[in-house]
Amino acid sequence: MPARRLLAPTAVFASVALIWWLAGRAGWTNAYLLPAPSTVAAALSDLAASGALLKHTLISLQRVLLGFALSVALALPLAVLLSASRPARVVLDPLLEFVRQVPPLALIPLLILWLGIGEAQKLGIIVLASFFPVFLGFRGGIAGVDPKLIEVGRVAGLTRRDILTRIVLPSALPELVVGLRISLGYSWRALVGAELIASSAGLGYMIIDAENLARTDIVLAGILVIGAIGLLSDLVLRLAVTRAFPWLSADLEAARA
Amino acid sequence: MLELIDASRQYDVAGRAVRALDGVSERFPAGSITTVVGRSGCGKTTLLRLLAGLTDPSSGEVRRDAARSIGVVFQEARLMPWLDAAANVAFPLKGRLGRAEIAARVDEALTLVGLTDARRALPAQLSGGMAQRVAIARALAQRPDILLLDEPFSALDAFTRRSLQRVLVDIWRRRRSTVVLVTHDVEEAVLLGESVVEMEAGRVVGRVAVDLPFPREATDPAVVDLRRRILARLVGGADPFNPQVCSRRKP
Repeated sequence: MPARRLLAPTAVFASVALIWWLAGRAGWTNAYLLPAPSTVAAALSDLAASGALLKHTLISLQRVLLGFALSVALALPLAVLLSASRPARVVLDPLLEFVRQVPPLALIPLLILWLGIGEAQKLGIIVLASFFPVFLGFRGGIAGVDPKLIEVGRVAGLTRRDILTRIVLPSALPELVVGLRISLGYSWRALVGAELIASSAGLGYMIIDAENLARTDIVLAGILVIGAIGLLSDLVLRLAVTRAFPWLSADLEAARA
Repeated sequence: MLELIDASRQYDVAGRAVRALDGVSERFPAGSITTVVGRSGCGKTTLLRLLAGLTDPSSGEVRRDAARSIGVVFQEARLMPWLDAAANVAFPLKGRLGRAEIAARVDEALTLVGLTDARRALPAQLSGGMAQRVAIARALAQRPDILLLDEPFSALDAFTRRSLQRVLVDIWRRRRSTVVLVTHDVEEAVLLGESVVEMEAGRVVGRVAVDLPFPREATDPAVVDLRRRILARLVGGADPFNPQVCSRRKP
């Protein structure tokens, strides 16, 4: 990404920080409820120096990546299966539709009972939250393939399998990528939710622990780190996609999740 | 062997049966070049789709040797957006020929349509006319026994159209494939066809043998005369100087 495109977002964030600082300076805000940027920065550097920040971040990051990968590994084959097979649709569609309607956070109590409060429960919540955007995006992409392109394959004498791998799946990529981006964002949200409720490590835990100790500066520091990592991971995903599929770059700009 | 025997095709449009093709029997001898001309909605595209095996007849029969390879150029370019021009041309060949042979054929086909410089361009970067030329190259690179073309040149400017018409005739004369070209342009039909099939309302209403040597010139009095006669029949003398008797898009 060229440096010039980073200019505007940087300016926006700098302005927000400036207003935040001025508001504290002028006494408009309570220093306990909204600590000044400098206080939050100090908390951040303390956390970084003690190694706590890195520890919590790495634990959260690992959970997100694992859960996200699990979601994708489940969603892709299922999407292909349900697109290709009517019986599979008849059986699985109502079930999946039902699960989709239930917010993952509502399932946390159940997941704690079933999976305990360890890693399995965190992964479960992330998978529940991030499965559907990938699954539905890929299915939508497969369903939306231009029948005119399929005719090109039929005329060329391609087998059903070749039509699937050489026409249908590449056609579905743009919508899949949108699904992946949304999923990654949902993974972060769900993870922090899970860590807030029952955890002994991770950024969500760091926040709730700080709240209990009345350290709003650490709460804010945690929020900043989560937001920054979210932005960064989306950027990395987009760069990877643009590099792997240059023809997709136009679609990516339109697909802000 | 390429033949329609009493072939009909009905479409269901809003609950009403619409007969796009109505009992057409027509032979396209091996190695011949035939043009099909007619008004909008007269069934030309349906006829071509039946020949290509993309649509089955509602009644009647399509006879085609199974062993024969088919190349189709559609009204729209229909390129794979994720492949560059060269890869689009190579698309039907992949997995059938060796890499060197594919590369040679892609080069040859892109040269024929004058697009060697655009080989790395993605479809989104091509103009409509260029994309259509890639689609033509894709069909030519297959070296098909049967080449079916649906208004292949109507998206092109007059100069490119003329030169690609020459390329088509050239290739047909060299390879002797069976060519069927559908067009709304009577002049094009006369310039390219050994015979011109006239269609109206889903039926074949005439077949004119064009006994003129190739390459033909639009200004040749024999071409002009034939064009005028076909036009007069098809438009019923409405406007014999307007060659656009059949719009590009079929409903």
